[in-house]
Amino acid sequence: MTSLTTLEPLVLDGFREAVGREHVIESPLEVFGYSYDASFLALDRSTVPQAVVRPRTTQEISRVMAFAHQQRIPVTPRGAASGRTGGSVPLEGGIVLALDRMTSILELDTANMMVSAEPGVRTADLHDHCARQGLFFPPDPGSWKFSTLGGNVAENAGGMRAVKYGVTRDYVMGLEVVLADGSILETGGKAVKNVTGYDLTSLFVGSEGTLGIVSKALFRLRPLPKARGVIRVIFRTMDEACSAVQEMLLDGVTPSAAEIMDATCLEAVARARNTRVEPGAGACLILEIDGDGASSLEAQSLRIDTITRQAGCITFRSAASKEETEAIWAERRGLSSAVAAMAPNRLGEDISVPRSAFPEVVRRINAIASTTKLRIPVFGHAGDGNLHPSVLCDLGNPDEAARAHQAVDGIFKAALDLGGTLSGEHGIGISKRPYFADAVGPVSLATHRAIKGALDPLGLLNPGKIW
Amino acid sequence: MVTSAPKTGPAPFAAAKAKVLGCDRCGTCLPACPLFQVQDVERASARGKNALVRGLAEGLIPPDREAQEALEFCLLCRACTDACPGKVPTDEAMVQVRQALADTLGSTPLRSRWIGRVLRRRRLVGLGAATLAGLRVAELHRLLPPQLVPRETSRRAYLKKHAGPALLGASAPRPEPAVHPGAKVAYFQGCGMKMLFPDASRSTQRILAQLSPFQQPDHPCCGLPHLAHGQREAFLDLARENIQAFEDADLVVTDCASCSGSLKHLTSWFAEDPIWRGPAERFSAKVMDLTEYLVAAGYQPQRLPDATFTYHDPCHLARGQGIRQQPRQLLKQAGKLIELAEKERCCGGSGSFHLEHPEAAAAILQRKQANIEGTGAQVVVTACPGCLIQLTRAADQSEGAFQAMHISQVI
Ligand SMILES: Cc1cc2nc3c(=O)[nH]c(=O)nc-3n(C[C@H](O)[C@H](O)[C@H](O)COP(=O)(O)OP(=O)(O)OC[C@H]3O[C@@H](n4cnc5c(N)ncnc54)[C@H](O)[C@@H]3O)c2cc1C
Ligand code: SF4
Ligand code: SF4
Repeated sequence: MTSLTTLEPLVLDGFREAVGREHVIESPLEVFGYSYDASFLALDRSTVPQAVVRPRTTQEISRVMAFAHQQRIPVTPRGAASGRTGGSVPLEGGIVLALDRMTSILELDTANMMVSAEPGVRTADLHDHCARQGLFFPPDPGSWKFSTLGGNVAENAGGMRAVKYGVTRDYVMGLEVVLADGSILETGGKAVKNVTGYDLTSLFVGSEGTLGIVSKALFRLRPLPKARGVIRVIFRTMDEACSAVQEMLLDGVTPSAAEIMDATCLEAVARARNTRVEPGAGACLILEIDGDGASSLEAQSLRIDTITRQAGCITFRSAASKEETEAIWAERRGLSSAVAAMAPNRLGEDISVPRSAFPEVVRRINAIASTTKLRIPVFGHAGDGNLHPSVLCDLGNPDEAARAHQAVDGIFKAALDLGGTLSGEHGIGISKRPYFADAVGPVSLATHRAIKGALDPLGLLNPGKIW
Repeated sequence: MVTSAPKTGPAPFAAAKAKVLGCDRCGTCLPACPLFQVQDVERASARGKNALVRGLAEGLIPPDREAQEALEFCLLCRACTDACPGKVPTDEAMVQVRQALADTLGSTPLRSRWIGRVLRRRRLVGLGAATLAGLRVAELHRLLPPQLVPRETSRRAYLKKHAGPALLGASAPRPEPAVHPGAKVAYFQGCGMKMLFPDASRSTQRILAQLSPFQQPDHPCCGLPHLAHGQREAFLDLARENIQAFEDADLVVTDCASCSGSLKHLTSWFAEDPIWRGPAERFSAKVMDLTEYLVAAGYQPQRLPDATFTYHDPCHLARGQGIRQQPRQLLKQAGKLIELAEKERCCGGSGSFHLEHPEAAAAILQRKQANIEGTGAQVVVTACPGCLIQLTRAADQSEGAFQAMHISQVI
């Protein structure tokens, strides 16, 4: 890691010229605010950037990149810094390129059901904008009220609705990307069928800011579902809950969300909300269904009732009012902090396995919990095999810290053994970098490097990430 | 894998750091913080301020004027805490860190010292409008907004405008006091009400008198401005004076949300003090906000058929004390209540914030004004003189679209 010095005044002038003086932040106190994201990384002097540059147009991004390229200055793109793996944390100084001021929704094309927007638009704002026209932008990461579209594309963010509607990648039709040297690339477009050349659009989705700067994105939309309903089902075991989800999907009843939590999570929620866990409860499913109207919801709800009964559920509650819907979702939304409140520290992970391996990976995590003598509550998106085990520990206690890291290693190993991956939605960033090479193997690693070398030969874009 | 290990740092910041330990920098508070909306730089947000606290405590940020200014840039409105999944008390951390910075840097910025001195001198405050003239002589007026003496709308003018002729001047039927019959009620008249809104304060007193005889002991400022500017000792002195001044009362009623908020929370400041802990606890337990008291006492407002209100929730009342229903209940009895969009969003007043950061405060107020105009209500009502200063300014800017009044003037 290079040591940090301030940028030469002349260099700063170059950036000021590119975006306007008031859009360059240089004060040491202000730039400190751009040294972290929502990951578990410690605050550190070495991750403070030398300046923050905030463009408002593609042309400005292009000028910034061309200048940085010429001066060999590292550039770390940043949206809202809600990433959980350190993706927008600058590791080698240089500038943070903050895209949060590019907040225009450019075109809502209702005829083609597509929308194009700048990277700094907040996910929920795009959703609301489309919903006003009866159109639906489904990706809904838990952070959607503050995360940006640029960050969503760069991390290929998923959300609770992924089980029915897929993840960000499934909606990106085309991108405008500023490359490392400042040239502007356009990929994809409104034509739904497109087999002209390599799929460059996909190359940039999930590239974590290492291949180019997303300056515009074109998304496809769906019609907005007319009605939604929420169901909460309690089971004795995680196995029963998982098999209920399998049965539903096989039966053709696809909930738009299928969130699962284990006994420890239920206990955490009960503790936080001052309620009691149902006797015998070992797992909980929170299901969202959507459809054309009340009758469609009722039909789905009936099918789900039968299936969950067969799987051995203890209680089944379908929200009858808006308040009840809110109350059930509040339980899920408050889960992460309720779990976090159970210990001084929490290492929240994000692994993904084939859906059928979900019960097995949970069993292995439980085994890891008992060998490391740590509590590891598990919750996640049962419908798509993406789960978030949280290793609860006190990092101030060196012995416990060592066991916690051992547990994290074990969790990744279990996921890979079962044909899963290191990340379902949060990306690799810095925190999972040590596991990357093992996870993908030498040929894939070399291919990744070759692509990076071709697009960013000087290695200036988001250095130090992914591998 | 790199993880955050607890570090120890400069001791003065330990208390503030302890408050923000639960912040995992998720960003949920970003859209909630009114200041981040008007200054979209990380340090303006709650997440940014909490990170600065950690940075100071871990020795990554020097405790200098720039840090002090950044941490003074907070409305203490708690919108962030409300939104935060971990309920991180950013406002409390700000109070702690301001104290630590004031201690470390020797003195707080000049303006807050002046303000502190003025409010501390009971006699000065007592002089009301004359104080303001005095401030001008002392060149302090430059710290104050152009029209510090807000153009207060009088209750009489309001009644004239909204009442049917038969109701003009009619007083509400005298209800049975429900709060501890025979309880000795005392009125805590905050500095803001006394100096800036004497007419509203008289309305409060008139209403209180309708319920039961009440005392009005001589007392100083509640101390919140001092606390907010890192003058903990001054705050504690004032608190002790207040505890003594109200020893005789069973109930201490105030029509200033900031005063009731800070007076209700004295206990924690004296938790370690063997002498004052008990008295502080007893004192805090008898403090009531005016609306809280009136509803408990069964006060029936006079109904004006033609009045339409909207209500702005003061941060210190809604989030600070959970009082949301009582003012609405009273207003619904008095006229037609139209709910305000973003009713709990801070108006940008926040003690002396609007004096120190006029531009940010004006930007926040602009949005509030648009929301008020959106309701079409004739009167925006609130229950805190701090908010009333801002809302009066909005009313002026709206060129008569609406008036701003304290709740005691319309019920
Ligand atoms: C409470 C909470 C809940 C979350 N829930 C989910 C969830 O359900 N699903 C999920 O997938 N994630 C979730 N996340 C993680 C995170 O919110 C997502 O990864 C999100 O997409 C990041 O967006 P951002 O704008 O904050 O990006 P940042 O964190 O600022 O950046 C993320 C990465 O994208 C790069 N980047 C940002 N903008 C651009 C751009 N315009 N061009 C190129 N690269 C760019 C950055 O360099 C970095 O590598 C959650 C996070 C939190 C705090
Ligand atoms: S204060 Fe709360 S909401 Fe804001 S970043 Fe910290 S944890 Fe998240
Ligand atoms: S208290 Fe209000 S102004 Fe201060 S950080 Fe929180 S939301 Fe922002």
